[in-house]
Amino acid sequence: MGVAMMTPSRQIQRQPAWFMLASEFGESTLNEKGSGEFDPTFVITKLGAKVNRVVVSGLVERLEIRETSNGSQMYQGQLRDPSGLHYFSVGEYASESMQEFIVHLLGKVDSGEPVLLCMTAKARWYQTDEGAVYTSLRPEEAAIVSRDRYASWLVRACAATLNRLDQHQKSLNCEPSKEAMLKEGIHKELIDGLIAAQAHYGQIDTEGYRLNVMQALDIAEGKMAAATTAPPKLNLSEPTSDDENEGDGEDLQAVILECIQAMDNGEGVDFESLVRNLGARGFSREQSEAELDSMSDEGILHEPRFGWFKIVA
Amino acid sequence: MSGDDRYDDHISAVLQECPGVDRDEIKAAFQKYEEEFFIPPQDAIRSIIRRFKSETDTKPAAKAGQSNRTTKKVNRLSELKSDDRDIEIEVEIVSHNVREQMIRGESKSIAFGLLEDDPWQEGGGERTRWEYKDWGNNSNIAPGSVVRIEGASVNEYQGRMSLNINQSSRIAVLREGTRPVVAPGEPVDISDLPSDGYVCIVGRLMSSRPDQIHRRDGSGSIDVIRGRLADESGAIGFLSWEPFEYEVGTLLKIDGAQVKTFRDTPELNFGRTTKIEPFHDASFADTDSLKEGMVSTISKLRDGSKDVEIVVNITSWEKRTFTKEGQERHLWSGQIADPTGQCRVSAWTELPIETSSLPLTVRITDARVRAWQGIPDITIDREDQITILEETPWEGELDLENLKIEVPLDELVSGPSRVGISTKGTIVSVREDSGTIMRCPECRRVLREGQCFEHGAVEGNEDVRLRLVLDDKAVTCALLISKDAALALLETDHPTMVDQIQANGSMAYVQTIRDKLLGCEVDVTGRIINDGQGAMILCDGATLSTTDTGLKATELRAQWGLQ
Repeated sequence: MGVAMMTPSRQIQRQPAWFMLASEFGESTLNEKGSGEFDPTFVITKLGAKVNRVVVSGLVERLEIRETSNGSQMYQGQLRDPSGLHYFSVGEYASESMQEFIVHLLGKVDSGEPVLLCMTAKARWYQTDEGAVYTSLRPEEAAIVSRDRYASWLVRACAATLNRLDQHQKSLNCEPSKEAMLKEGIHKELIDGLIAAQAHYGQIDTEGYRLNVMQALDIAEGKMAAATTAPPKLNLSEPTSDDENEGDGEDLQAVILECIQAMDNGEGVDFESLVRNLGARGFSREQSEAELDSMSDEGILHEPRFGWFKIVA
Repeated sequence: MSGDDRYDDHISAVLQECPGVDRDEIKAAFQKYEEEFFIPPQDAIRSIIRRFKSETDTKPAAKAGQSNRTTKKVNRLSELKSDDRDIEIEVEIVSHNVREQMIRGESKSIAFGLLEDDPWQEGGGERTRWEYKDWGNNSNIAPGSVVRIEGASVNEYQGRMSLNINQSSRIAVLREGTRPVVAPGEPVDISDLPSDGYVCIVGRLMSSRPDQIHRRDGSGSIDVIRGRLADESGAIGFLSWEPFEYEVGTLLKIDGAQVKTFRDTPELNFGRTTKIEPFHDASFADTDSLKEGMVSTISKLRDGSKDVEIVVNITSWEKRTFTKEGQERHLWSGQIADPTGQCRVSAWTELPIETSSLPLTVRITDARVRAWQGIPDITIDREDQITILEETPWEGELDLENLKIEVPLDELVSGPSRVGISTKGTIVSVREDSGTIMRCPECRRVLREGQCFEHGAVEGNEDVRLRLVLDDKAVTCALLISKDAALALLETDHPTMVDQIQANGSMAYVQTIRDKLLGCEVDVTGRIINDGQGAMILCDGATLSTTDTGLKATELRAQWGLQ
């Protein structure tokens, strides 16, 4: 009988792992964290996956030891799959077996030997003072895998991505409510994430994810020639550049309009939500505040009540 | 390898970064990445450059990031000020009403109601009650539920404080409402009934009989009516505290019945406020077809079920004798099977069953179900509850050795405990205590540092066990693999395992298991225990899945119309 089981309150339950390519995870700028000490943290992707844990695989592109500010050691690395890069770190908090593994791995990577890794990892998220959001992974367990196991992971990650693309597409046709989404045939586990993702990301272009999948499938099938693309532009000496995070006034204005459009259900959008969303897109609080002021002055926005913004029709 | 010049651009790019390196060497590197590791040149290029560049690259400055949210977390409503915004608090929802409101020419549903702080009664004091308005149309706010509201703001009007739940606020349900409101008069399918709360259903009366409930204090008894109602989605037992005089077969609409759940089995309660009336619907399933639907299968048995009718094979039968209060008593028990699974049966009376004639096909009626360690046990109290049948209603013999019902993991995890299942999933974790363990010779508990939880310091017996986690379809399940299955899966034997652990340590051995299993798809058989503490499969057979990657890729392309 399909009677809903009552789940006991406040029980810490293990979160299932998502199969996911690097691009979908890396492009996420939304997170969710409960207030309880043991509440899970989630990174919510553009396709609505509420990710606490992932199974990822790829080539270890870099692995280094860093000294942290408190004098302990931290291993930082990058894992590349056909869609992009994951950043991961292993510190003192990692399990004994993970620490043993990472030492062993470092030796292998340093020798110049290509290493394919499969790992289960927790999703991490942080926001810089400027508001830029970075995702990274904290590996729990890892294994060095063969080409064929990597291919098998690729196919499963593709299947999962295609499924999410389909569910995301379906969600565009219905009201952002649980009932409407269930009616549309959207899987229960995606509904929360899809609603949150829609409010935060607004309209997204999913073509990139489809291309990633097609390329990953080519690779999984061993069609390497088809999967080959031109060499990327290399800027190895400057691994991080901040230029994409510095929006000028024009950009910010466009993003503000986009945000309000996406979030306004008739009441306007409150200041805090706007600033938080803009923060997630890389604009500082001060920047956003100033721009909101000047847009109100210019008559692009109005405040139907204090602290709530609407676009002047 | 087609096209010898395929890497030319990539090789030039490497040479730009690392002048003076031999072209052929670079090409060989690209080939190796591609052939041995399935890494195309555009993805391998950085690793190759890094390898050829002996000088290490600069380190990016580590950025310390702090989130700049300024959420105000409070425990009590009294801690809030009238201009607080972006607050976070845990409350119990007392009431929840939805009102349609015209806002700028658009009809919107706004919810309002009452909430109370200190939902876990930790404060010991009096709870504070406030009004709230939900502008976010949150579907997960229900009366009786305890929720955490994040990002709400305080509203003050004429000195009265209330809480505004904004569109950007988040509601996390910490405890589901025990009083879910189902819109009155809207009938629900029996299979969709909540496990608690007031409901309206339309169902056909399948059985009813008078019964008495004796007051525990001995002050008398209450006359009640028990019975069953069915619709096409299922059947449910009921208990009426009021006179109930409808003929079996009548279609009834029952509004305001209360669902109560005993063990895992829900039951409807009819009381003074329940409205019962005959209902007319010519297309509603008739008694006979509903009766057929009420015949259960082993996979559907739940702890606490009553009035169960089922057709099964009895595959083993034995008589047990015990003494209770100086009297010798007998209990008969056995194994039963149908195409959906296996479980146990017990009888408190002698039944016409000869062990020599097993397996025997029987129809059991009016039985009750108890479960032990999650395995259902059908209890038979009277001989007339059992009818021996000439043949099975299903085709062919049950292959008991291999009777494994394939069930998707999400269904297993959300369902009851079951035996004889097979499922598949991905191994996402190999716990560090996988490998050899010591068990207490008395109770088979795993020893911790030579100590048994029950029997203290004992000389343990060595055993092999894998403790894994299996994920599939957005659910997760613990997976315990017993000795023989574990050794078979790892393609090793017990002495070899012990040797390796002694040589390299248990951590290194766990890593070899991960190297073999992590991220792999497996098919497993065994039984599942689901006791509300999370699901656990006790596995007696596990094999790595042999899905053909190329085939799967082709299927995916076809399924989603790629290319």
